[in-house]
Amino acid sequence: MPVARDHVEIERKPPSKPKTGGGGPGKIPHPRDFGGGDDGEPDRDENSSERSERLLIYRVLMVVCIVAVAVVFIVLTVAYLYRRSVLHFDEDKGEELHLWRPLVLPYLLLWINSLVLLASSGTLELARRQMTKQSEFASMGIVPPAGRRELSWLTATFGLGLGFLGGQALVWNTLRHRGLFLHANASSSFFYAFTALHAAHLVGGLVALAWLIFRSWRPRRRDFRQVALQATGWYWHFMGILWLAIFALLHFTRK
Amino acid sequence: MSDLSPNPAQPSRASFLRRYLFSTDHKVIGRQYFFLSLAAALSGAWLSLLMRLHLAWPNLAVPFLGEIKPENYLGYLTIHGTVMVFFVLSTVPQNGFGTYFLPLQLGANEMAFPRLNLVAFWTTLTSFLVLMSVFFVPGGASIAGWTQYAPLSVLASAGPGQALGTDLWLVSIGLFCLASVMSASSFIATTVKKRVAGMTWMRMPLTCWAWFITAILILLAFSILLVALVMLMSDRHAGTNFFVPGGLVVNGQPVQRGGGSPLLWQHLFWFFGHPEVYIAILPAMGITSHLLSNFARKPVFGYKAMVGATIAIGSIGFMVWGHHMFVSGMDPHVGFAFSALTTAIAVPSSIKVFNWLGTIYGGRIRFTTPMLFSVGFVSLFIAGGLTGPLLAQPALDEYLHDTYFVVGHFHLIMAMAGLFAVFAATHFWFPKMFGRLMNERLGRVHFWITFLGAYAIFIPMHLLGIAGHPRRYSELTGVQYVAVMAPWQRIITYAAIVTLAGQIIFLANLFWSMAKGPRAEANPWESTTLEWTLPSPTPEDGFGTSMPTVVRGAYEYGGKSDGEAGSDYRMQNSP
Repeated sequence: MPVARDHVEIERKPPSKPKTGGGGPGKIPHPRDFGGGDDGEPDRDENSSERSERLLIYRVLMVVCIVAVAVVFIVLTVAYLYRRSVLHFDEDKGEELHLWRPLVLPYLLLWINSLVLLASSGTLELARRQMTKQSEFASMGIVPPAGRRELSWLTATFGLGLGFLGGQALVWNTLRHRGLFLHANASSSFFYAFTALHAAHLVGGLVALAWLIFRSWRPRRRDFRQVALQATGWYWHFMGILWLAIFALLHFTRK
Repeated sequence: MSDLSPNPAQPSRASFLRRYLFSTDHKVIGRQYFFLSLAAALSGAWLSLLMRLHLAWPNLAVPFLGEIKPENYLGYLTIHGTVMVFFVLSTVPQNGFGTYFLPLQLGANEMAFPRLNLVAFWTTLTSFLVLMSVFFVPGGASIAGWTQYAPLSVLASAGPGQALGTDLWLVSIGLFCLASVMSASSFIATTVKKRVAGMTWMRMPLTCWAWFITAILILLAFSILLVALVMLMSDRHAGTNFFVPGGLVVNGQPVQRGGGSPLLWQHLFWFFGHPEVYIAILPAMGITSHLLSNFARKPVFGYKAMVGATIAIGSIGFMVWGHHMFVSGMDPHVGFAFSALTTAIAVPSSIKVFNWLGTIYGGRIRFTTPMLFSVGFVSLFIAGGLTGPLLAQPALDEYLHDTYFVVGHFHLIMAMAGLFAVFAATHFWFPKMFGRLMNERLGRVHFWITFLGAYAIFIPMHLLGIAGHPRRYSELTGVQYVAVMAPWQRIITYAAIVTLAGQIIFLANLFWSMAKGPRAEANPWESTTLEWTLPSPTPEDGFGTSMPTVVRGAYEYGGKSDGEAGSDYRMQNSP
């Protein structure tokens, strides 16, 4: 049984900084947000290491979610490639025809969107580092510098995420003006299916970000927020990679 | 955030709604799933009775329903299959018993995400009600079968149940997919993270292994089905043509759309559909392994091989979907690959059967009702499984695919074997779930009626299939070579009526024992796993604050002198 720790070790680094105090909750005078193992939850009697261990379950859930979402897109990819290769027998001509009509993508817009989404991954990583740093300060009983900089990075990520969705809406609008609707032909059906499903999953990530931003104003349960930010980060980066994969797929099958 | 607190159950303060309806307690949710599945099984059984009556006496007028028309028959077929596969076989062995006993067997007081389980249950219930509502809408139930093959399922003009009936089917199964994925996420996280101190992977009961692997299968398979359902829905209502081929003529009217591939639907559906078979049977296998060891008073023969076989079945199960499509005009090379892989899945299945026989061989067997049902499971699994490698041969399958042979095959191995494991589990865990014991004598009578009935119904179906009797048709009285088989159809119907009547004994036993059965002690079966360290029924707060520590594997039976005084077993937490 390790000595009861007075901070939360989500990152599982070997402790490199000297610890102050080895006791339980409330040994160091601290504002409500930082310090002891009972952040704002005086009625809990478990120690912080058990608690942080228990919080890791949310990361398992996130891995499970990512696997499920990945399967959805893998299946869609397989269906797309299969559908693309189907030949149709034309009775009038007496031969098999390849009826796939390729889609001309609005590349400029798609590239801008991709950069916006990649940038949002970057800002989210900065937010995560900020929060980790603060919890390290807190573990030493030091009140970190004023202002929650992770909040501004989170807001930036949220804004970039919205920007990406807006950009995708522009892409759809461009296609709409060319008369390419969902039901126009198979390639446009699949394009809308890919991009709309991706956008729907991205909205899930935006909801998580909004929740994190909201919780930053109500500074309780720092360790919980930290795990939530980490898990959201994994999901968000996965969304970015997924988008690049979709983009690459659409590009290499453009003919 | 009640799911963060170590012990959220506070009985004194919770209202009735919170305690029994919208409870996050895994024990309540497990029982809710159990009763939902019971209702679903009764609905499905009622539909099968209607179908059997119609097959034996095509002109019979059923009270209240009148004569069964072909579209009614096909509607019953669709809903019978859907209800039994989704709401019985995929629900009760996994979500019913799993939600109740996975945390207890792992030494946890709750699932990893109790509220996720709560939402999953209520979504499943909604999904079931939506499915059942098809009988009350214009046109009735979909006639496309539980597989909903396109283009029949796409075109609303294709049949009476193909408009609203099919939409409701799609909504219902879409909800079911979401609920299953939610529940499976909780199962996976629970197994990975909530095992008590000392509960290593290789000390887990085989039930937990089965629930864990099944949860992974559910996560992958139902995500796939959801995509396919969304595509089908968009074909029906958004004008896309993923699955509609060109040149269709429906009721004499040419269909002005096309370019899609109906085979794509079959691929997507069976890529979900075959793992679904293992979703239904893996928990049943886990329960059987667990119970055989318990009642033979011997450790599970080849525990590691059992775990390996479970994982192997789960993974090969994703590579064999093509064997449902041999008759679709498949490239022979592809057919050969699917055939070889399908035959290969017989290897881990045989390992399991061998180990079950090895477990009971030389044991001091206690023939209680749960043991009878477990042995019955092995019998049905062998009888139904042996025809699997036959059907895996494309040349044979061409002939047998659309006959009663396939009906007999999957009903024996999936439906009957799965159901026997459910009966075994019900009798076995009833004391822990309801605090009382079920009646042994009624249980035995029920077992023999069901066991003999299962064979009496489904073995003749194999023979009908070999003789070439096609399946799915509501009536074939005009066809000469089929007409001579009519007496066999009647024999099957008689057997089905007797077997279904036998289930009344089970229902009576279940509800009578719930109220009046003898009170059970903590460990009536002298079992080793953690749930039996608790009093019966399980206290509301589970292990409370005194969490057990596991020091040994799950199947330490048969010890003579080193056990607890005079006993032949050692509990997982006994030092």
